[in-house]
Amino acid sequence: MVATAGLTRDYGGTGLFDVDLRVPRGSVYGLVGPNGAGKTTMLSIITGTRHADRGTVEVAVPRRQVSVCPDVPEFDGWLTAFEVVDLARSMVAPERGGDDVLAALRTAGLGGSARRRVGGFSRGMTQRLGLACALIGSPRLLILDEPTSALDPAGRAEVLSLVARLRGRCTVIFSSHILADVQRVAGHIGILRAGRLLYQGPTQELIDTYLRPQWLLRVAGDPAPVLAAIRAQPWATRVEHLGGGELRIDAISLDAGEHGIPATLAACGARLVSCEPLAADLESAFLALTKDSR
Amino acid sequence: MSTHATAPRLRRPPKPMTCWKLERLRMTRTPRAIALAGTYVFFGLLGPVTAKYLQDIVNRFQSGVQVILANPAPKDGIANYISQISQTGLVVVIVITAGALTFDARRGLSTFLRTRATSMWQLITPRFTVSAAAAVAAYTLGTLAAWYETALLLGPLPPGAMLEGLLCGSVYLIFAVSVATAAASLARSTLGTVGIALGILLALPLLGMAGPLHAWLPSTLVTAPVALLGSATLGGYLPALAIATISTPLLLTAATFQLKRRDV
Repeated sequence: MVATAGLTRDYGGTGLFDVDLRVPRGSVYGLVGPNGAGKTTMLSIITGTRHADRGTVEVAVPRRQVSVCPDVPEFDGWLTAFEVVDLARSMVAPERGGDDVLAALRTAGLGGSARRRVGGFSRGMTQRLGLACALIGSPRLLILDEPTSALDPAGRAEVLSLVARLRGRCTVIFSSHILADVQRVAGHIGILRAGRLLYQGPTQELIDTYLRPQWLLRVAGDPAPVLAAIRAQPWATRVEHLGGGELRIDAISLDAGEHGIPATLAACGARLVSCEPLAADLESAFLALTKDSR
Repeated sequence: MSTHATAPRLRRPPKPMTCWKLERLRMTRTPRAIALAGTYVFFGLLGPVTAKYLQDIVNRFQSGVQVILANPAPKDGIANYISQISQTGLVVVIVITAGALTFDARRGLSTFLRTRATSMWQLITPRFTVSAAAAVAAYTLGTLAAWYETALLLGPLPPGAMLEGLLCGSVYLIFAVSVATAAASLARSTLGTVGIALGILLALPLLGMAGPLHAWLPSTLVTAPVALLGSATLGGYLPALAIATISTPLLLTAATFQLKRRDV
């Protein structure tokens, strides 16, 4: 859906350098990276509001079907929320009507504020309004820059749920520094650091690749037989008894552990209390990856 | 939150929002229209009054030295109006135009507009047109007020010369709005745009001091409404009218080109 080749924008040492982005059609693509990594520059170049020094950008849909919501949306404060979204509608989808505008406002959680002037909106409400404007044209490519940064936990959950539901119907690129949000909705991920793309691919693959697969196992009764059985497994690299019925298990891969632990427990007749992955999240993978690249 | 939220029905569908309606609302929902019309009408009413009662005003404040002024003629009412409005009115017009055109000063707003507009013209044309139309309307209202009060206090004015003066003043204001549009493509902030536009517009009369250029400069049109009430003819202002008329679309094209190239 979106492909860049050798994309470079040099702001004198910062910016973007030789970025080859590949966003699969219909995917939710999370663009993550620390502050100043180049996320907003990347999205701005894709949307055409900034120019690249070098490289190419290919977007496989007409410009009118690309919708953008910036990290800090701003509107003329003397317009009502309805008028703001209606303006967006008249520019990108003039064939639609006022009812679609109200539907977009309701989708963004602003159904009750359609007639209010946006000058009095909180930052979270303004961000929702930006989202309503982005949704009005039923875009085929939706670009969201930090869409949850100003929202409270409930609002974040709603927006993430909305983004997740768009998967398959619309390609979504969204940048965020909240890695838990990205992990929750993004099937693909790109990690930027200092303007360079460190990783790009399926989110789960990143987690699998950059994590030391580790689990905390709790069993009822004597843990010694379980300890011995798991130590005997070829996939187990380290097993440690933490006291009581708790064991920490390291495996050669997530896949090996996820298959091997239940099978071994079943074979030795252990009574399982719980088994949870340790640090198996994007944040740990991100830290591992950015640490490796230093 | 649902991507398939049930669409509530509108009881009375409002007129669709467009870039043109946006500019009309910018004028009427904010103090812009009142400020513009108020400034011109205020000076339109004040000009003839000060011309009529200038001798009384001078007498009230004189000390020792007696100043005797010639009896005011109808032309003096318009001359007072033009001298008072040529700078104050121009500043108000430029500030209002700059406010409408400096959307790049706010990145979120700029992104909203630029990523949805089919071309830069779609954003520039309504902003320029509505600002210019509002400036001409305010100037016309002020001129009518000055004309009416001059007729009431000082005597009648020749309608032909008054209309020719109105034409010259209006063409100058449209040119001034196009200069402000071009300035908005050079500066991002409203203040910077106002500074550049006023700098150019106030520098033109200085350039006009260089003899032969005077008749060709749009700034000559500012005082045309007064001169046309005397011995001047519209033919003498044709070069300035032509330059202002040609410059306006050129400045708009240059502004649009520059704004299109600009990074947000």
